[in-house]
Amino acid sequence: MNKHIKHWFDTGMPFVWLNAGAVSVSVIMVVGLIALIAVRGLGHFWPSNIAVFDYYAEPNTSAERLMGEIVDEETVSRSRAGNPGYQGETIKRNLIKSGNRDISGLDFSWILDAGIKNISYPDDAVVVERREWGNFYGFLTGLEKDGQKISNNDRLWETFQEEIERNNKVFKEIRHVEKDLIGAINYKMERLRLKERSLELEGEKTPENLQIINQQREELQREYDSYTTQLEKLYSKFNSSSFNAITADGKKITVSLSKVVRAYQPNAMGTLDKTLFYCEKFWEFLTDDPREANTEGGIFPAIFGTVLMVIIMAVMVTPFGVIAAVYLREYATQGPFTRLVRIAVNNLAGVPSVVYGVFGLGFFVYFLGGSIDQLFFPESLPAPTFGTPGLLWASLTLAILTVPVVIVATEEGLSRVPRAIREGSLALGATKAETMWRTVLPMTASAMITGLILAVARAAGEVAPLMLVGVVKLAPSLALDGNAPFLHLDRKFMHLGFHIYDVGFQSPNVEAARPLVYATALLLVVLIIILNLTAIRIRNSLREKYRAAEQS
Amino acid sequence: MQQNNLDEIETYHGEEAVTESSVTTPTHAIDLGSIVKSGVEANIADENVCIEVSNFNLFYGEKQALKDISMKIPEKKVTAFIGPSGCGKSTLLRCFNRMNDLIDSVTIEGNIKLEGQNIYDKNVNVADLRRRVGMVFQKPNPFPKSIYENVAYGLRIQGIKDRRTIDTVVEKSLRGAALWDEVKDRLDDLAMGLSGGQQQRLVIARAIAIEPEVILLDEPASALDPISTLKIEELIYELKDKFTIVIVTHNMQQAARVSDYTAYMYLGEMIEFNDTSTLFTNPNEKMTEDYITGRYG
Amino acid sequence: MSYGAINQHISKQFDDELENVRGKVLAMGGLVEQQLNNALKSLIDGDMELATSVIETEVQVNTYEVTIDQECTKILARRQPAASDLRLVMAITKTITDLERVGDEAEKIAKMGLELTDKQGPKSYYISINAMGNLVSRMLHDALDAFARMDSKNAVEVAGKEPESDDQYSAILRQLITYMMEDTRNISGALDAIWTVRALERIGDHARNICENVIYLVEGKDVRHISLQQMEDIVSDND
Repeated sequence: MNKHIKHWFDTGMPFVWLNAGAVSVSVIMVVGLIALIAVRGLGHFWPSNIAVFDYYAEPNTSAERLMGEIVDEETVSRSRAGNPGYQGETIKRNLIKSGNRDISGLDFSWILDAGIKNISYPDDAVVVERREWGNFYGFLTGLEKDGQKISNNDRLWETFQEEIERNNKVFKEIRHVEKDLIGAINYKMERLRLKERSLELEGEKTPENLQIINQQREELQREYDSYTTQLEKLYSKFNSSSFNAITADGKKITVSLSKVVRAYQPNAMGTLDKTLFYCEKFWEFLTDDPREANTEGGIFPAIFGTVLMVIIMAVMVTPFGVIAAVYLREYATQGPFTRLVRIAVNNLAGVPSVVYGVFGLGFFVYFLGGSIDQLFFPESLPAPTFGTPGLLWASLTLAILTVPVVIVATEEGLSRVPRAIREGSLALGATKAETMWRTVLPMTASAMITGLILAVARAAGEVAPLMLVGVVKLAPSLALDGNAPFLHLDRKFMHLGFHIYDVGFQSPNVEAARPLVYATALLLVVLIIILNLTAIRIRNSLREKYRAAEQS
Repeated sequence: MQQNNLDEIETYHGEEAVTESSVTTPTHAIDLGSIVKSGVEANIADENVCIEVSNFNLFYGEKQALKDISMKIPEKKVTAFIGPSGCGKSTLLRCFNRMNDLIDSVTIEGNIKLEGQNIYDKNVNVADLRRRVGMVFQKPNPFPKSIYENVAYGLRIQGIKDRRTIDTVVEKSLRGAALWDEVKDRLDDLAMGLSGGQQQRLVIARAIAIEPEVILLDEPASALDPISTLKIEELIYELKDKFTIVIVTHNMQQAARVSDYTAYMYLGEMIEFNDTSTLFTNPNEKMTEDYITGRYG
Repeated sequence: MSYGAINQHISKQFDDELENVRGKVLAMGGLVEQQLNNALKSLIDGDMELATSVIETEVQVNTYEVTIDQECTKILARRQPAASDLRLVMAITKTITDLERVGDEAEKIAKMGLELTDKQGPKSYYISINAMGNLVSRMLHDALDAFARMDSKNAVEVAGKEPESDDQYSAILRQLITYMMEDTRNISGALDAIWTVRALERIGDHARNICENVIYLVEGKDVRHISLQQMEDIVSDND
């Protein structure tokens, strides 16, 4: 027996198994992680059937009725379930998303398995997604417009859908007027105010200048007024209709259509309908603004903010890291000092990221930003322009965080350029600088991009330092818009990583938000994968070109 | 003119000096001048000097790599340096275009004159010197660019932008390096796609594109297969009409095949510098003899 | 410079190859020398058996020539020898040609001996033929000795004896002409004797060629077609 084991060890197989095992565990972990967040996150958008439960909360009480989706089921100890009157050491219970927060105060309820008397799935059960108070679960009874009933019972559902669609169009129009048109006017007004203030500071607040400003301001005001009247009309149209409904336990409510995002009857939908609905919901998640303290709606501003910040960071970190690496490797005299610098650079990569956040806040935001404000934006003081956390400082902080990676990767690339290539260039009468520009740097491009890939991967996932230097829960406007100068580096922005943290831990409705945490996490992972794959593609095509040269 | 063939043969047998009369009858006469000349060795003293090395010493830090080298490299001839590894032949070659400047610890004494001007003078521009003294390295080192751009590199460095000028020079250089017919249809392909021998000829084309006076070849065929090696050797033979060529080689047969003059170096010293056929049939020095017959070491 | 040794190459195999081919040349030389001596002996003594054996030995000499030639070709192809090695191979290929010719001449002498024993006539000129034969034989011996020791001085000395053999040749020639004029019946025998002497004179030339090869091998200078004085100068210069 021992002999066999010894022989087996001698064959070297155990080592192969050990290595293969390590690889398998890694693969399983990665696949498992992605699968977990995908299943948990993506399931959220699927329209589940709505069940109507007749149940007893306690034995020997009267039956109650509840309507909603089964979200979860678990078996818990008796005491955890609140010592109900049912028998058994452990008790099985179902978590029901019952909505109707405006009526019952809770969107989720537990129903004990033992107490369920009857479950039914009525076809006409309706889910209404609302702009406030969460989902409504119940049965549609009628429609009103300006206080009058407008539909017969035959076409009640169809009319309801048409009305919702019409109303949503009005809503879009209102949003356009409010955000884009009036937003632009407000922006211009603010600029005028700042201009006036700067004139005042410079001592050139002459009546002529003032008159020009006032003239412009009046013009804007006129425009603003016309938009306001338009808005009023739209709003009266928007608020004109409402629907009547009845909940499972018989409470009647009337809700204005202006609060309705969409309504659907999941029990009546076929698989195809559900799939279409699913895609629609997912698209909304990707492209819409968040609602209800980020627990509903989409996460577009967070995606946008993340990508924009990473791009700005990449634009800043690449040249800086490359230049530093070129100096270190090519020009600096190699000695104890350069070694020291290298050690310092490598150690920078190991500093906890939140420390960078503190540094960013202290140095960039307060010191640099404050100085910039005093020098260039005195008109808006005491309100800070750059002296407050914002996109620029967040990008810069992450650039500093990731610059060691770019330096190390670029140096690696420079050291891989064969001496023969440099000598070949020098022997043709090129100076060192010409050799660098024409031959060495192009050959190092793939290494630079490798550094950039690593930097992007790290930056996109970083949250802690961002909380100090620019990320917010809800940014009022995107950092890139139609108002000159289009890219607003001073604005605060939203970020997927922070969004996950915010939805998961700072949300008023944790149960409702949990699937969103997974969905957002999945999106963050996918985003980083996409960024990386793009960079890897670029790098591979470059590397292909230079591989032969590096090998010689 | 009426000279009788028998007479000539008699003359030949009699070992008399070749008379003018036999040269004047080239049609029937055997040109004894050329027979004798090919037998009698060329003389370094008769050549025009291109590079003159005088009392040249070179140190890597404390270690002396070249010891009191003095030699005159003749113009438009092929001069070969042979010797065991570490004998300083490559180091000496790299002194001719000051490639050794790249190494920090190098110090030199003595001087090297190119066309009478000391290349280690303070006011010599190294980049200009390297344009005059081209170099080809042991391993083919084409740039990771197209074939065309490789040849045009030196011109672009000099700031030449005119497309037509560059086109002409590229074609001329590739023809000069006997590569044109092989690559004329794929000038825009990456140079890395060429075979080793083609790459080395491309590198030579790149060097001759900037029309240097001297071409230094540092073991140009050591990484190539025998056929490619022969092509390079043939090319060297063709190039010596226009350029002064200095070649370092490990391959003694190669030195014997391509060069007009050969220098044998050992441990940083110039042991013997002689015309190639003398050096390979009847060297003056025992050390040379031992090296070329394989008794060294 | 010591050219005494072929060995000391880094490649021992090369040493062996050169040593082997040189040994064969010396063996061939010994064979040819013996052939010449036997031929002379058979001529003088009228020993027909010996004469026949000389003729038979020629086959061996030819085989030696072919083998050595092949080996030299092989060395040239595989070793690309340079300097003294190259000169050695060149000298060997030339020397074996000379040796083979010497062998041919010895064969001629032996054949002549066979014929002369049948014929009648005075054999008194045999003494002078014998004397010349001894001279040439010694020259060949010394030439081979110089080759074996790679001794250029000896080689010059041997080459210096060649005019002596020429002189003897003319003397014997005159003597034989006198015989022919004395008695026309002697003409046939005398003519054969002339051929023999002529052969000996050729052997002397070949011995000198071998010496020249030795000088080329040792000194690296081509000494063909120059005067003895120049030859001596070259050899003493290089000391």
